[in-house]
Amino acid sequence: MSLQSRVHVGSPILLIEDEPSVTAFLRAALERRGYAVVNAASGAEGLERLTDGQYSGVISDIRMPGSVNGAEVHAWIQRNRPELCARIILISGDTANSDTQALLAQSGTPCIEKPFRVHQLLTVVEKTFGKP
Amino acid sequence: MPRPTPKSSNSFPRSRGTQAFARPQGQADELMELAVDAAESRQLPEFLERFAKRAARMLEAKWGGVTVFRGRETDLYQTAGGEIQLEAPQQSAIIRWARENRHEIEVLPLLTEPALSRLPDAAAAVVVLVPITASDQETLGSLCLLRVRKTLNEVERRLLHALASHAALSLENFRRFSQLERSKRQWVEDIDAISDYIVVHDRSWRIVRTNRSLASHLGVPPAALVGEAMSSLRQIAETGSELPCPFCRDTQQAREEYVVASPERIFLVSTSRAPGLSDDDTRTIHVLKDMTDRREAERRYRELFDSIQEGLFFATPDGRFLDVNDAMVRMLGYSSREELLRADVGTHLYPVPAARDRFLRALAERGVLRNYEETLRRKDGTLLHTLQNITAVRDAAGKIAQIRGLMLDVTEQKTFQSQLQRERDFNQKILNTTQSMILVLDTAGLISYANRRCFESGYREDELIGHRLVDWVEASHRENFEAALETTAHGHQVENLEPRVRRSDGSMGHFSISLSPMRDEQNIVNSVVVVMTDITDATLLQAKLAHSEKMASIGRLVSGVAHEVNNPLAAILGFTDLLLENPAIPAAAREDLQIILHETQRTKDIVQDLLSFARQRPVQRELVHVNAVLRQTIKLRSYDFASHGVEVSEDFDENLAPAVGDAQQLQQVFLNILNNAYDAVQEAGQRGRISIRTQRRGDLIEVAITDNGTGVSDPERIFDPFYTTKQAAKGTGLGLSICYGIVRAHGGEILCGNNEDGRGCTFMVRIPIANEAAAATIAKEAGR
Repeated sequence: MSLQSRVHVGSPILLIEDEPSVTAFLRAALERRGYAVVNAASGAEGLERLTDGQYSGVISDIRMPGSVNGAEVHAWIQRNRPELCARIILISGDTANSDTQALLAQSGTPCIEKPFRVHQLLTVVEKTFGKP
Repeated sequence: MPRPTPKSSNSFPRSRGTQAFARPQGQADELMELAVDAAESRQLPEFLERFAKRAARMLEAKWGGVTVFRGRETDLYQTAGGEIQLEAPQQSAIIRWARENRHEIEVLPLLTEPALSRLPDAAAAVVVLVPITASDQETLGSLCLLRVRKTLNEVERRLLHALASHAALSLENFRRFSQLERSKRQWVEDIDAISDYIVVHDRSWRIVRTNRSLASHLGVPPAALVGEAMSSLRQIAETGSELPCPFCRDTQQAREEYVVASPERIFLVSTSRAPGLSDDDTRTIHVLKDMTDRREAERRYRELFDSIQEGLFFATPDGRFLDVNDAMVRMLGYSSREELLRADVGTHLYPVPAARDRFLRALAERGVLRNYEETLRRKDGTLLHTLQNITAVRDAAGKIAQIRGLMLDVTEQKTFQSQLQRERDFNQKILNTTQSMILVLDTAGLISYANRRCFESGYREDELIGHRLVDWVEASHRENFEAALETTAHGHQVENLEPRVRRSDGSMGHFSISLSPMRDEQNIVNSVVVVMTDITDATLLQAKLAHSEKMASIGRLVSGVAHEVNNPLAAILGFTDLLLENPAIPAAAREDLQIILHETQRTKDIVQDLLSFARQRPVQRELVHVNAVLRQTIKLRSYDFASHGVEVSEDFDENLAPAVGDAQQLQQVFLNILNNAYDAVQEAGQRGRISIRTQRRGDLIEVAITDNGTGVSDPERIFDPFYTTKQAAKGTGLGLSICYGIVRAHGGEILCGNNEDGRGCTFMVRIPIANEAAAATIAKEAGR
């Protein structure tokens, strides 16, 4: 609980997603529920924002182009922002990938598979980050 | 029989008889003269006639005659120019009497014999018969006298005995003389008949006698040469002798024998020397035998003997050659005839003594051996295979005295033969051990030969030999096959035909066939060699490989596509949801949005299935009891099955070992197959039957699910994604593709085929049995 106490409640959710349409939808859905959202278009950008800012949680796509993917974001948070370890939601477009399987099984990190309904998303978000 | 009346004209005047024979001074003188006459006479008839005449005169007979017995014949010699001449019947009568009275002097009256009774004074006359008896008591003949006075006084009897004795002596002498003459003449004839030249000469080198052959060689009668010098015979043969006789060499030898040759003739001269008539004489007899022809024959024989290519030999049974020809010497590798003649047949020629014994036994038994095969040893030790024709020459006791034989060298043939045999054996072995079926077809395409493999494959000889191979080929491939045969018949090889061919059990197999032309000595194609290999398994394997490669690439493709589709899908679904949440949206638009939502959901399901099919992740690793999974799966659908009259039968191997895998995924597979079966039997519209069988097959668990439904039109493609025969509403067409992915992920295989009875199809799922190590590991993990 000590870690969680350091989380800045009221801080925005960091949304790391390379697909603009998906980003737009997630942002709309979350903001309508009262969440503040900061988004990053790639894994690398997500890590930059994590270094600089305070976030109440992180939602990251697993498969992204570029040098940093969702798994690496997850690993980085584990190492550098342990207080956010339990405040990560992964979004997967493909759970068939064995790396993804391993990651999910190992960490117990919640994961939403694309495509998903709005209520599915909000249920997981509220359960993981709490209500806004 | 009336007595014939004597004729006066033929009267027998007593007075004239005494006048006709002037009596000599006395009987003694007559006998003296007789003795002289006998000694001097050379001709018997004349002597006997004179004797008869003298006897008649001495005994005052009117007629005298002498009969001489020669076996059954009798000669009668009578007084020549006498008073009475007897005619033939009268002579016969006298002769008969003479033969009847052989021992004593007889006096017989003429009247007792009709033939004689006609003679003048017959009534008063008698015949006196005096037997002439030789010193050995043989009766040689008779003295017969015809006279008028009937009685004989003592003086006359003594005189008759004396006359008979003289006659006997003379007859005996004449007989001996004529015998001598005859045998002398015979001797000369015999000598003359001999074709060899015979010449006899005396000590003074004068010819005493020659035979006719020699004389006629010189063109003169034999007598002409008598008395000539022996040197005159030099022209017969030049002998080189310096003696006056060309044929004498050493006069001290009693016998000589040698051969002389003149340019034209060759003679064997045999000489004997014997004492002559006088003490100081020697008779030398030369017999010249003309050997020219024999010598020529001998020469020809020798030439033949030596020039013939076959080995010829004469040998003794104890193993020495008496004579061999050049071919024999050459064959056995000896340097000369003499060397081979010195060799001991038994030890030098026979590699094993037992062979020689066997040969001698066979020869003793049969006498003649035809085409007798024997392996001999040459001088250098190499083996010589021979074929012999042998004749045994036996002595009077029946023992083999000589062995004569003809020998052929068949080593080369033998070597060639064994080489041929080896080659044939080798080829036979290849033909019999190859895993390919090899057939030979004649130009009409009829099978004339099939190797052992064909029969091992189950074909019967009577359904292959004499039948057309093309009849075994599947109908749709026949035209092609016939064309290939035609090509081969024209001398071209055809490789890698892959027709379907009926197997012996009636099933069709995939075969790889090569056709090669086989040519005869004239280089004309006279048959076709067919090499066939059943490559059904290989084809199957290849097809499986191709299929799994295809599936893998489809998997990669759909995985990529699904992922790309999921992003826009997520946006569409999300925004639709958001729009529906918006109360400002009119009801009509809301309905449209519901459709978008529904279709998006459907799209999502399709993508999910695609991803399941393409899923590469390992299945859950747990021990799975397949029978249990199957029972559970059947339970899921049991209500549907029962309510639609579909009968499900189970034939499970209850001792089935567990597999390692994901029970839930396997259930998905079985459910999918059962759903398919259910649909198929429903479609077939008859009482549906689904039977499920499990069994162990090696290291695999095999699950066979058989239905009696409609079957599948293309079993090869049934696992392809989106391949479906069902109505569009019934599924995504990915169900079996997902099954395929799951089974493959379990390290197993899934197959589909239509049933052989033509009704329905069977799905076969095979997954590996958990090996002990894996089972133990899993059990340990589960227990933790």
